[in-house]
Amino acid sequence: MNYEQKENMEQPKILTLDDDFSLIKRFIDGDEAVFAELVKRHKEKVRNIVYLTLSSSNSVDDIAQEVFITVYRHLKSFRFESQFTTWIYRITINKCKDHLRKRNVRRIFLPLSEEEKEPVLESINEDSDIKEIVRSAIATLPDKLKIPLVLKDLEGFSYQEIADTMECEIGTVKSRIFRARESLKKVLKPLEKELM
Amino acid sequence: MNKNYTDKELLSAYIDGELSLNEKKLIEDKIKTSLELQKELSDLKKIKELTSGSVDRISESPFFETRLFANINTQASNRFNYKKWIPIGSLTLVTLTLMVVLKFNPKLIDNIVEQQKSNLAGFYKENLQPLLYAADLTNEDIFNFAVYQELPLDSANQQILKLGFDPAGTEFFEIKNASNISHSSNLKSFVAALDLNEAEIEMIDSIIGSYSDQLSSLVLVNDKNSVAINPNIWNTRKVILADILAFAKRFAGQNYSKILPTEVAELDNKTIMKWVSDAKSVKANQYIFFTPDSIFEDDFVFDMDEFKEQMENVKDELAELKEQGVELKEFRINFDSAYGNHKRNTDKSKRYEISVNKDQIKVNVQDFAINIPEIDFPDFDSIAIIINEATKNIYPVIPPSGSVVVGKNNYNYNFNSVKPRNKKGEVSLDSVMHQRNTENELKNNEQKKKYQNQVKTGPDFNDSLMLKQNEELKKEMDNLKKELQKFRQDFTKPNESDSGQSKKSKQRVNPIDTDEIEI
Repeated sequence: MNYEQKENMEQPKILTLDDDFSLIKRFIDGDEAVFAELVKRHKEKVRNIVYLTLSSSNSVDDIAQEVFITVYRHLKSFRFESQFTTWIYRITINKCKDHLRKRNVRRIFLPLSEEEKEPVLESINEDSDIKEIVRSAIATLPDKLKIPLVLKDLEGFSYQEIADTMECEIGTVKSRIFRARESLKKVLKPLEKELM
Repeated sequence: MNKNYTDKELLSAYIDGELSLNEKKLIEDKIKTSLELQKELSDLKKIKELTSGSVDRISESPFFETRLFANINTQASNRFNYKKWIPIGSLTLVTLTLMVVLKFNPKLIDNIVEQQKSNLAGFYKENLQPLLYAADLTNEDIFNFAVYQELPLDSANQQILKLGFDPAGTEFFEIKNASNISHSSNLKSFVAALDLNEAEIEMIDSIIGSYSDQLSSLVLVNDKNSVAINPNIWNTRKVILADILAFAKRFAGQNYSKILPTEVAELDNKTIMKWVSDAKSVKANQYIFFTPDSIFEDDFVFDMDEFKEQMENVKDELAELKEQGVELKEFRINFDSAYGNHKRNTDKSKRYEISVNKDQIKVNVQDFAINIPEIDFPDFDSIAIIINEATKNIYPVIPPSGSVVVGKNNYNYNFNSVKPRNKKGEVSLDSVMHQRNTENELKNNEQKKKYQNQVKTGPDFNDSLMLKQNEELKKEMDNLKKELQKFRQDFTKPNESDSGQSKKSKQRVNPIDTDEIEI
């Protein structure tokens, strides 16, 4: 059995595992047009993760663009050791973290009046719907609690996927999701009757 | 507490369906028996329900792909835009080249700096000419320099070179703006005080003049406003002074002792000649250059003979041009004394302390000057003033053409027939007074004539006052004369009996006696 025959035998196995892999394989082989298909498949998920992580629609498209540009640059060195989605979400989360860090640094040098307005619970009035109240409450959480909660409850990631994306242990994910829920419970306590 | 906390964590994972079968069974058993866990489970479920239900998807971005691929294409083209790396690459290349060059030639920068210094020094050294040609030095200037340590640096006497001592005894010279140069005729006064005759005056002039070349080559100037001074000027000044002293001691006899301070007068010729030979043995080629923007020391050889030769050539050329009838509006002499004579390896062993302020530049030459004691000369101007004071009230007397017969005896009263100089130690002021009297006599004659004219036209107040004073003086002098005649008559009476002495008394009266009487 020569090398070519062996490769032909293994090829269908990859395709069955993840269709993204076949596209990536073609991209590596020089068909860069398939990248458009990858973008089409994952752009909304990436944009929503960015949106939910930042709790703001500002800069969502800019960060998502950066994510795909990074993917484009490094796709040829993709090692097929994890799912493509895990890889692209990890890049997304890292870009979001970078953005949040820069924003926090910028905030130090900004006068209070010019700070970006964050959705806070105090701004909620009687007319606000429950979804809006909960989103505002989630936005108050620290990033390290907010991101696993969002990935779990809003995007439906498994603990393992979250651990892979955030490059941490499953136990850490479990703990952080629990602490995020406990924090939310305290934040939403004043509105317990209306909400629960 | 920790146990409860762990159970609650398990509850959270339980509602997410993330527990293993064993964990699931364990927590379900606990829930059954614990109201607290049941309540917690209920709350967590509600929270999860709320968060899961709060999903708000962001609206689609229709131009996302378009924008993305535009960005990718732009960045891809920029990625291979090596032009932006050209400046960094060039800089790195230059740095590496420099590092390699400096590794194998570590003195390169020093050499470049030295070369630049040499070029700058060369620029300022170009066309340096002796001061004599710029300041038009006279013997008077050289004499003043030797005695009073001041030398004019330009013909208008705007700046002077001044040699001096610090309170600590450090010898220095300085260039400063001239404020009051009053030594206008010191050489003349000095010559007069020493009572030198014509030949001796010529001799001292030639001695002083012989130093003008040497002095000139020690102070060089050029049209770039540079002044180059050889610190050896200190020694040269001492040599000139010693030479003048040696001459004065030899020819002026007692006058030398009277005019000069005791410590100088007592110096023997050997000591003086030793100073001269010591100072002449110092061959210093190091000059200090004072330029408009820097002061530096450098080796420099000024060839006076070559300069003179060139000046002779210039003179010949000028003469030729004049013969040809060419009219010159401007004539510049370029004597390139810079590059050929510049030495790269300057002797750094001699360092001079140079200080500069607004009005002066001062250079200490402590380690350079030969050891000759400094001599405090009397102020020749003050001597001239004293002489003037002593002589101005003396009424000028016209010397009689023949011998004057006094009383019965024939005394040859040869008034003012003073010998020009007496080398054997007689009173030396005679000749000076003689000169003053002659000058005053001429002045009075002029005034008399003027007075006679003014009598016709009406007298001027000041002149009439002066004439009145002169008339009073004349009366006093007449009275003095009468008294003198009376004194002589009394003096000659005892001699009348001694007829044998009459022949001897025909001898001329010693000029010293006449002068003593006159004073």
